[in-house]
Amino acid sequence: MKNLNILLIEDDMIEVMKLKRASGSLNLNHNITEANNGEEALKILEEKENLPHIILLDLNMPKINGIEFLKILKADDQLKYIPTIILTTSSNQRDLLECYKIGIAGYVLKPLKYEEYVSKIEKLLSYWSVNELITT
Amino acid sequence: MSQEEVDILKRALERERASRKAAEKILEEKSAELYEVNKKLEESHAELTVLYNKTSSQLQGVFENIVDAYVIMDLWGNILKMNEAAVALLGFKTVHDEGNLSTLVHPKEVDKVEPAFRKLFEEGSITDFKIKIRTKQNISKFVHINASIIYEDGRAVAAQGIVRDITLENEYQRAIEAEREKYRSIIANMNLGLVEVNNDDVIQMVNQSFVEMSGYDEDELIGKKGGELLVADKSSEIIQKENQKRLKGQSNSYELTVKSKAGDIRYWLISGAPNYDLKGNIIGSIGIHLDITELKNLEFQKEKLLHKLEKSNDELQEYAHIVSHDLKSPLRSIDALVSWIREDNKDKLDDRTQENFKLIQSTLEKMEHLISSVLEYSSIGFEASNNTQVNLNELINDIEQLLYIPDHITLKILRELPTVKVDKIKMQQVFQNLISNAVKYNDKEKGMIEIDVEEHKGMFKFSVKDNGVGIEKKYHDKIFKMFHALNKNKESTGVGLSIVKKIIAHYEGDIWVESEINNGTTFYFTLRK
Repeated sequence: MKNLNILLIEDDMIEVMKLKRASGSLNLNHNITEANNGEEALKILEEKENLPHIILLDLNMPKINGIEFLKILKADDQLKYIPTIILTTSSNQRDLLECYKIGIAGYVLKPLKYEEYVSKIEKLLSYWSVNELITT
Repeated sequence: MSQEEVDILKRALERERASRKAAEKILEEKSAELYEVNKKLEESHAELTVLYNKTSSQLQGVFENIVDAYVIMDLWGNILKMNEAAVALLGFKTVHDEGNLSTLVHPKEVDKVEPAFRKLFEEGSITDFKIKIRTKQNISKFVHINASIIYEDGRAVAAQGIVRDITLENEYQRAIEAEREKYRSIIANMNLGLVEVNNDDVIQMVNQSFVEMSGYDEDELIGKKGGELLVADKSSEIIQKENQKRLKGQSNSYELTVKSKAGDIRYWLISGAPNYDLKGNIIGSIGIHLDITELKNLEFQKEKLLHKLEKSNDELQEYAHIVSHDLKSPLRSIDALVSWIREDNKDKLDDRTQENFKLIQSTLEKMEHLISSVLEYSSIGFEASNNTQVNLNELINDIEQLLYIPDHITLKILRELPTVKVDKIKMQQVFQNLISNAVKYNDKEKGMIEIDVEEHKGMFKFSVKDNGVGIEKKYHDKIFKMFHALNKNKESTGVGLSIVKKIIAHYEGDIWVESEINNGTTFYFTLRK
């Protein structure tokens, strides 16, 4: 299992805390970078030397929303290869279809219960940590 | 006297005697000739008389039998002779009655008499003279007269004429005239624009309404091509196509977009029919035009409204998703925070506090469930394209697999269920909600759920019957309203039955409940066949 460089794009502070705590309590040494919105994330992604292995993306965000961000990402010749997993509360069928159409590596619904959340995150991270990923 | 003298005298006498004899003979001969001639003359006279009598009686016959009234009058109008037809026409009793023709003229038309007489005398005849008369029987008639003067030794002595009763003919004509006038007035006054065009679409006639509709004067319209004058976008093509149909003798209605003189775009509904001449040739078409701009605008408005409605429905659904997301996010955060507090203070919190934290979390769950249900309710959209033939027996079997039905409860279908054309997912929601309610509220040792169907007046009446706790009568209406769950437990949000009702209502069915406390509940609903 390798340590992943994860970019979490999430505007909700507690959601950020949740991922960090879940990752910590699972004794995973992944490197989590946070961006509170799409613009911030794009700035981080400008640093081509240090691109994340995967991106966890929330859909409902102010300014640039998740889908808009995804479109920008997939239009970029380099960034489009970064697996992007949607982490959202939206069970809207339209959002789901739209995301897969643009191109995503997964679509995970945030559950209400924290324990369920931990279990989903554990599976997600362990899946990606056994994957071969593009490194710069 | 000498012998010689005597001889001479004798001879002279002799000659005289001879010549007298000769003369007598000639006389005799001539007289015989005369006699012959006279005899022949007498014969031919007799023949002529016969001939004359024959002709005369023939003429008399013609005179008497002629269908038309025949009258001979003197120069002052007194009747000298008339036939039976004339007697009948003029209202006399016999052909021997006396009378003056000018006294028969209708009082309103006496002015016509004098000029007619003058014409007759000056020109010797008069034809096509029409006049109203009042007969001896005081009946008004309209007559047609042809008359001519009878001359004797070059002197006018009388006049003869043929009189025809054209009263009926005249009435027909007047009736036709009246009809024509009636239609002319209808055409002139109707609200429909009427146009007559020839085979080249050149306007021949328009009525007042069409003048008003188009905004052009009659002079501006007649002689112009309708398609060119009033054209708006593709109307000209349409007119050409429609005119082709007229040439084939077809009639129909079509809509046309036109531009009035003022430049307004108007919508006309036109009923066109071919126009024929007396020989049956198509000489153009007649079009009746109805201005349907107002209607059309309403139609556009309706389309716009529908479009808007669709959009706002869409937005509403989006909105429901966003709201539900925004409402759920804080719940998730609270749950996470509570979890962490519990985890971090495992040893420091007493049992009661731990219990209370658990309660907070189950309340959060309930809240989340509610939000999901509201979202579900508000996202029930119906699309006709989703309707398929659904075998309800199979549907119930699917639900049985899907739901957790405990062993002590049995689900039975009494009569075979029909196949109906519905949205399968919606119908599943209906049965699933009703069956899961029946499972949830069953308190009996041996629970049972029975599904049945009856056919009734073009409707299917379905029933889902259980032997559970039952529902009090006062709640029978309330249970179908939002958030009216009777049992406040975690799974009941009070939305399930309102979803069922919304779906049934969409299919124009009814839903109601019959129940007895402790004995069970039966839900009935109807669906159109």
